[in-house]
Amino acid sequence: MTDAQIYSQGYRRYEGPRTGVTGAIRSLVKHSMRKSLGLGRSARHKIVPVFVILIAYVPAIAFIGVAALTKELNDFLDILPSYADYYGYITTSILFMAAFVTPEILCTDRRTGFLGVYLASPLNRISYLFGKGITALVMIFTVTLGPPLFLLIAFSLQNVGPDGFAGWIEIFIKILISAAVIGIPYVAVSLAVSAVTDRKNFATAAFLAIVFGSSILESLLTTEADLSKTLRLLNILALPVQLVYRIYDESAAWRVAANSTSSLWVAWFGWVLVSLAIVWVSYRRMLVRR
Amino acid sequence: MGPLISAQNVVKSYGKHAVLQGINFEIQPGVTGLLGSNGAGKTTILGLILGLHPADSGTLSVMGSDPWKAGADVRTHLGYAPEHHTLPPDLKASEFVEHVAELHGLPTAEARTRASDALWLVGLGEERFRPLGTMSTGQRQRVKLAQAIAHDPKLIMLDEPTDGLDPAQRDNMLDVIKNVSTEFGINVLISSHLIDEVERICDGVVIIGDGVTKASGSLDELRGTAESFFRAEVDADAAHVAKLLATLETTTPATADGRIITMQGESDEMLTQFRDACVQHDVGIVRLEKNRVSLEDVFIESMS
Repeated sequence: MTDAQIYSQGYRRYEGPRTGVTGAIRSLVKHSMRKSLGLGRSARHKIVPVFVILIAYVPAIAFIGVAALTKELNDFLDILPSYADYYGYITTSILFMAAFVTPEILCTDRRTGFLGVYLASPLNRISYLFGKGITALVMIFTVTLGPPLFLLIAFSLQNVGPDGFAGWIEIFIKILISAAVIGIPYVAVSLAVSAVTDRKNFATAAFLAIVFGSSILESLLTTEADLSKTLRLLNILALPVQLVYRIYDESAAWRVAANSTSSLWVAWFGWVLVSLAIVWVSYRRMLVRR
Repeated sequence: MGPLISAQNVVKSYGKHAVLQGINFEIQPGVTGLLGSNGAGKTTILGLILGLHPADSGTLSVMGSDPWKAGADVRTHLGYAPEHHTLPPDLKASEFVEHVAELHGLPTAEARTRASDALWLVGLGEERFRPLGTMSTGQRQRVKLAQAIAHDPKLIMLDEPTDGLDPAQRDNMLDVIKNVSTEFGINVLISSHLIDEVERICDGVVIIGDGVTKASGSLDELRGTAESFFRAEVDADAAHVAKLLATLETTTPATADGRIITMQGESDEMLTQFRDACVQHDVGIVRLEKNRVSLEDVFIESMS
């Protein structure tokens, strides 16, 4: 019996398998999500993401409660919103997620010089941006996909959901598409502004200015100046929700209702592609500093 | 074993600004210093080695591969410690090192274990759960070294690794870096503009200036281009010194300047002769030093 113990193992070689670029992207997404949600950080970093996610689910919880209390009274079920209407209740949450959380995903890496460390790993600019895009989408889907899915499941359990299996699947697919239609353009615009500044606050302000500015500009051009109704497609605040109404075949009160669905899709792709092009050009030309 | 890195006529420009105008060098295993003044092109060379951008022309090979074409594969086996200290302030050192190890392909459990080991090895075992923002510059330099070695790379590149350190921390850091090569078997490339620290720990040097290679090779090779000599200060008067010089049988004539005697060459036999002659003529030796050509001499000569 001795008191000997191993003080240090020294440096060990690693001969095992390596996970390659896929593993690097996985690690990037995991780390970026933890950072966005404030996990492993002080409490103040958790306030915004928790608040944003919470306000996206509160209406759903309220409506599920209403449904539970009034499902025996069919007339009262009419007060429940449609799946398309629900996005009107959580617009704030979606915009907050894109405005406050998405910039954290891109800006911080450049500001702290972490980008240089990432690009010294198996990641390159494309795989880095791919991983960051995945992270941003997962984050926005927590508010664009989660609550409607939660509603669908809860309504179904309370027997106030879609009729039949086919009807359920149809609604489920529409929820998936709607979540992407709402989330992708906001993420793309937010990533674009985050790609041109390394200051999160500037990116947040720029995103909100673009979203609300486009709405004000559209209103001025089409209502005050009485120009072509095609200019309504500039309104990134209204455009995604209007498309969602088209997906659910519902009439909308939004003023872009006069425009054809195909023109809405063209505008939607235009916003997304232009935003992604800004991100790519910005990163392609970026000289990574030490 | 072949060179770790070889560059042949590598040219790189940004717009109209030609940063590298045909550099040539070979970096052998061990510790190598990449020396050059600010703006000489050191950062561009590191970027080319990492495959961050392609060379306009010429051939660059890193561990046998073109880093631009085989970027991910090459970078898997490279470690890199950037110059800047502005690492994510709220991230714990262990999380940072673990994340970088994962990025280089280590499975999560292995990355966690090796991150902890690496932080112990650089002397931050007790501090590994501290956020980076609460660490001193010296500690952050060590964290950067730990993240560079945690995934067991074949080569690490350290950009100004002693920047911001006080003399004691600097000495310590240089010892750790030397250990990384001699004890851990990891090759090291240090980008620096501090000649004395490169001379202290490096086996080889590449000197860059004006976008071209001014000199490269092992330290011994570079110093060997100039002759070494002994210089002695004696406590004797002119007559004694003249007698002393007359009795010396050095291969090249010794010269005297006041009480300073200079003898070309560096053989032990010559030194013994000088000592015996001093004893014979009752001349005291105040100081005796072997003057080798310093890296600074090589640097200045190559830049001139």
